Amino acid sequence: MSGNAPRRPGEAGRLLHLKGWLVPVLLLAVWQYMAGLSQAHAHAFVPLQQVVEAARQLILSGELWLNLLGSLQRTSTGLVIGSLAGLALGILLAFSRIALTLVSPLFHSIRQVPLLGLTPLIALWMGNGEPAKIFLVSLAAFYPLVLNTYEGLRNVDPQYQELGRILGFNRLLLFRRVLLPAALPSIFTGLQQAVPFAWITALGSELLFNAGTGLGSLMMTAEVGARMDIIIVCAVTVTLLGMLMSYLVGALANRVLNRGTVKTG
Amino acid sequence: MAVIGEVLTGPADRPRRSLRLNPAVLAPLVSPLALLAIWYWVASREIFPEQILVPPGVVLEAFRELTESGELQEHLGISLYRLTLGFLIGALSGLIFGVLLALSRQVRDYAGSLFQALRQIPTLALIPMFILFFGIGETLKVVIIVKATFFPVAVAAWDGVKGIPTQYLEVGHLYRLKRRDLWLRLVLPAAVSPLLTGIRIALGRSWLVLVAVELLAADSGIGQMMELARQMMRLDIVMVGVFVTGIIGFALDKGFRLLERLLLRGRIAEKTT
Repeated sequence: MSGNAPRRPGEAGRLLHLKGWLVPVLLLAVWQYMAGLSQAHAHAFVPLQQVVEAARQLILSGELWLNLLGSLQRTSTGLVIGSLAGLALGILLAFSRIALTLVSPLFHSIRQVPLLGLTPLIALWMGNGEPAKIFLVSLAAFYPLVLNTYEGLRNVDPQYQELGRILGFNRLLLFRRVLLPAALPSIFTGLQQAVPFAWITALGSELLFNAGTGLGSLMMTAEVGARMDIIIVCAVTVTLLGMLMSYLVGALANRVLNRGTVKTG
Repeated sequence: MAVIGEVLTGPADRPRRSLRLNPAVLAPLVSPLALLAIWYWVASREIFPEQILVPPGVVLEAFRELTESGELQEHLGISLYRLTLGFLIGALSGLIFGVLLALSRQVRDYAGSLFQALRQIPTLALIPMFILFFGIGETLKVVIIVKATFFPVAVAAWDGVKGIPTQYLEVGHLYRLKRRDLWLRLVLPAAVSPLLTGIRIALGRSWLVLVAVELLAADSGIGQMMELARQMMRLDIVMVGVFVTGIIGFALDKGFRLLERLLLRGRIAEKTT
């Protein structure tokens, strides 16, 4: 079986392509059929042309951009704050035994609470405006960065440190030239976890704190008005952007890490 | 003060036994206890209004009231029931589908790319859509959890089966193992480790998503209890909810890790004999 496949890649590839489309197209056809059944059905199974029309209107009126921008701003602000704080705490925990004993029990117990489960508490403390949402997104980025920075720094090969000492590096130089570069892959792993998590958390916070702009808020408003077409457009946008972000961080990680190897090599 | 005493006896009980052996066991308790003391002290000074900072005693009192009236158990029971039902359906179907994806070229050709596309959709983004489809009843929660479980488990099963070294199969053929033995003794054990990790991650996500959906749209469950308390500005009940969801999340994760270790230990033992 495996010997057969590479012999005619073109044909196999095209066939696979066609087969892959069959089920989705069939599903869409069923959807469209359900939409045509009755008025009540069309409420949930909105006809596809209506979805396209909703997308066109949302784009033309600028509503989609406005809300998208709101979500993106929130996500990036939270990502920057949360990642930097996470990086700092991770470094602190890796180098200070006292900080480790004092902070890590608190850190690990707070981490157990499902992030969005904190929303009622945060709503009481910070209201349901921008600070509350950004705080949640920051936390989403904070957790993976603390863990991965700490792990990365802890797992640096002791031989590297020795080499640094032989070369007469002081602590700062050792950190900058040896430990940090060695921990960078792990830190980027943290970032790669943080970005999609922050994006989803931004969406969740917008669903829960239904105020202001944001794709989540737009979706909740559409839900109240039973506008399935708008909801679908938003869900697709959220998904595509999430994929794009994951791809970009992955690409960034590859670039930065490759550059590191070239430099040492 | 009596309250602090009560809180203290809880965590202090366990390490007392090993205290003589290693005083370091107590170290992780320092900061939580310090935080508790600060919380108690700040609250007793009444710097903040009670809607912002309730004394720990009030939270404990709320916890006692909620458990004595059975309210907490009821909400938690409903939430855990939803989690179990949705998780079982999602994990089982995910397992079957993932194995099929790994083994059958046909399934991969027809459903592979659709599966890859659908699994990119964040579960939370589907909540508004599912509310319109299923209303805000029980179906909604179960369907959401099924979605949150199905995809990670299917991916883990796919990876797990795909990752089985072909040498295993060759050895199996060499020893002329029966098909059933080949599966039970080689294929499944090899796939089990990544699969269990996938299931554990799915379980954690499901709990997060369930709490979120209960906060958004529910008439019962631990999330709804918190949401209602928030609307009534009952910070004490909200904090009880936060603690309880945290403990459940922790217990699910730890319990599953334990299970993982038990199962894998069994596997290693089997190997050596």
